[in-house]
Amino acid sequence: MKKIVLAVLLLGAFAAKAQEVKNDTIKTVSIDSLKQIVDEHSMKFSGLDERLSTSDAILDKLSKIKISGYIQAQYEMYDNWSADGSQHGVAPSSGAPLSTNTFYIRRARVKFTYEALDGVKFVLQPNFEVHQVTLKDAYVQLNDRWLKTFSLWVGQFNRPTYEIEYSSSSREFAERTLMTRTIYPTERDQGAKLEADFSTNFNFPLKVQVAVLNGNFGEGALANQAKDVDNGKDLMARAVYSFKLPSKGLGIDFGGHTYLGNTTVIAQTNPVTVFKDVNNNSFTPIVGDKMKKELFGAEMQVYYDFLGGMSLKGEYIRGTYSGTTNTAQVNSLFNANKVRNVEGYYLSLVKNVGKSNVASLRYDVFDPNTKLSGDAVKTKDDLKYNNWTFAWQYFFDENIKIMACYVMPINETSLNAGVDYKQDKRDNIFTLRLQAKF
Amino acid sequence: MKTTNFKIALILLVVMTIGFSFTAIEKVTVKGSDTMVILSQKWAEVYMKKHPEATIQVTGGGSGVGLAALINGSTDIANSSRPIKPTELEKLKARYNTLGVEIPCAKDGISIYINKTNGVSELTVKQIGQIFAGQITNWKQVGGVDAGIKLYGRESSSGTFVYFKDNVVKTDYSPSCQTLPGTAAIVNAVKKDKFGIGYGGAAYAEGVKDCKVKKDDKSPAYAPTAETIKNKTYPISRYLYMYLKSKPTGQTKAFIDWILSPEGQSIIAGVGYFPVK
Repeated sequence: MKKIVLAVLLLGAFAAKAQEVKNDTIKTVSIDSLKQIVDEHSMKFSGLDERLSTSDAILDKLSKIKISGYIQAQYEMYDNWSADGSQHGVAPSSGAPLSTNTFYIRRARVKFTYEALDGVKFVLQPNFEVHQVTLKDAYVQLNDRWLKTFSLWVGQFNRPTYEIEYSSSSREFAERTLMTRTIYPTERDQGAKLEADFSTNFNFPLKVQVAVLNGNFGEGALANQAKDVDNGKDLMARAVYSFKLPSKGLGIDFGGHTYLGNTTVIAQTNPVTVFKDVNNNSFTPIVGDKMKKELFGAEMQVYYDFLGGMSLKGEYIRGTYSGTTNTAQVNSLFNANKVRNVEGYYLSLVKNVGKSNVASLRYDVFDPNTKLSGDAVKTKDDLKYNNWTFAWQYFFDENIKIMACYVMPINETSLNAGVDYKQDKRDNIFTLRLQAKF
Repeated sequence: MKTTNFKIALILLVVMTIGFSFTAIEKVTVKGSDTMVILSQKWAEVYMKKHPEATIQVTGGGSGVGLAALINGSTDIANSSRPIKPTELEKLKARYNTLGVEIPCAKDGISIYINKTNGVSELTVKQIGQIFAGQITNWKQVGGVDAGIKLYGRESSSGTFVYFKDNVVKTDYSPSCQTLPGTAAIVNAVKKDKFGIGYGGAAYAEGVKDCKVKKDDKSPAYAPTAETIKNKTYPISRYLYMYLKSKPTGQTKAFIDWILSPEGQSIIAGVGYFPVK
């Protein structure tokens, strides 16, 4: 009963309140005021249009900048022993105690690409390290807009070989081969490169690259790499033809490259520095003498769509290489005053397993002195190496991959190249890497 | 008590793992060309009706987006209204160690849309190129009224953008070309703008006029029709492709085989494109 009374009272109150509201009235609106409102809105739209055009122009400029990069953080274990078993590990830097494992930021790179116009590209890629920032790529690329075939690169860029141009972020192994690391240190050089790709416009799958380079990048102190130290330029050329059989799921790329250059003697010491020739005979060059640096290489990459993708890749390089210990020119992996006939090759087999896994196996050989072998080798730097590398990659998603890699270097043995090398030195490395790419 | 909970959790984990392993539905994802979205959705719709066990998910975004998704592994099939670029092929080689699989699945003509009130009704390929390059800026230069030409085009991720640039414009697009996020948006803009001109798949030309196209000054003008695209007399025609990273298997293979079968190809004409077989 109480509820009914309450409901009646509430209804009454609402009714009373409702009666207080005045009847709606229709206001008369003149055409002039409507016109004014339309004009105001029209002006607002014009203003917005103008602002949108400005924003579009800014956005258009920003869309020409592309930023990409990657970080490789890894854990390394060194199964590295001295011959008598007394020492285990490697020295992370000169004078530091031996270490058997470490965490390590191998790469932290950001690549900026600005395409100002169709056919003009600026590329800048710094590498961030714990103790320094170094410049990796810095070049201007001009693409021909008419034939869409030629491009000119000027600045600092990768030397044109397959293994070097194959990005570290895509590579199936933790490091490049010993051969490439030794004869093309730090991969890059400064100079000008002309590329011709006949596939785009002429449907002929041939790519030709010719580069003129300073020839001393990756050698000597960093400050000395800013400019050419010996005035002489080195020439590099490469050609690759791509053969395809789409119905068979088969593709073969094959080609070759050459490096024609010199190591110039830019200073002499007192007492004079004695060099060794290819036969390990001594000679004393004078300032200005040029020692050969001539390499010839062949390459092949076979891709086969077998149970989800497989490739077999190989390169063979031989020629004459020279080096000096002059601090402005020294190559840390060819650290001697010498001329050598060198030879190397690698074969790698890569197999995709399902959507997310890749298994890889590589066998690589580098002989830094083809004229000497066995006990005739007097220094460890002349020993031939046969390396086996096993790797497994897991692609967590489109940006992240995990790699486990095990390297087993097998050195040539010599009774005269140091106590550690009378037998195969134990120097295997295991790497567990996490890579994030964006 | 703790032990019991642990046991239950363990049993659940094993059951769920086994369950997921056996009940995993093979979903096929298709991504890419906006030109192909309607066609692809139609294929998926009809196929799923006939094969209720199949799940086909179709999205657009543009040919470049589709091919990028194929390379990074987030789609099974990339729809593309242009052939794959050498740089994209190199990325496919690096990630999957294959050359990919290219499947031409339909033919299309690129229509030149103009407003229905526009007096111009035919243009040469060269004139169209010059218009979109910003070298011809007034309709009177091509026989129309004295009014500025308003350009509407696609974003650079679009395969139609790339194909049209490479084959018709042959240089940079004019900076005044307004980019819109889909062919339907271009048609809509041209419909409203009596001095507008745009390009896109023939299937979308609703409420606008298809401008007839001449190969050169001396050639006859052709409208994009089934006949002229099939016999290649319409000068701006192309293949539409599906790309895969490697030879298809399972549900993906069944879906593609069906698309290329007479039944799958018969659907193409209904959407405004043309069969390859």
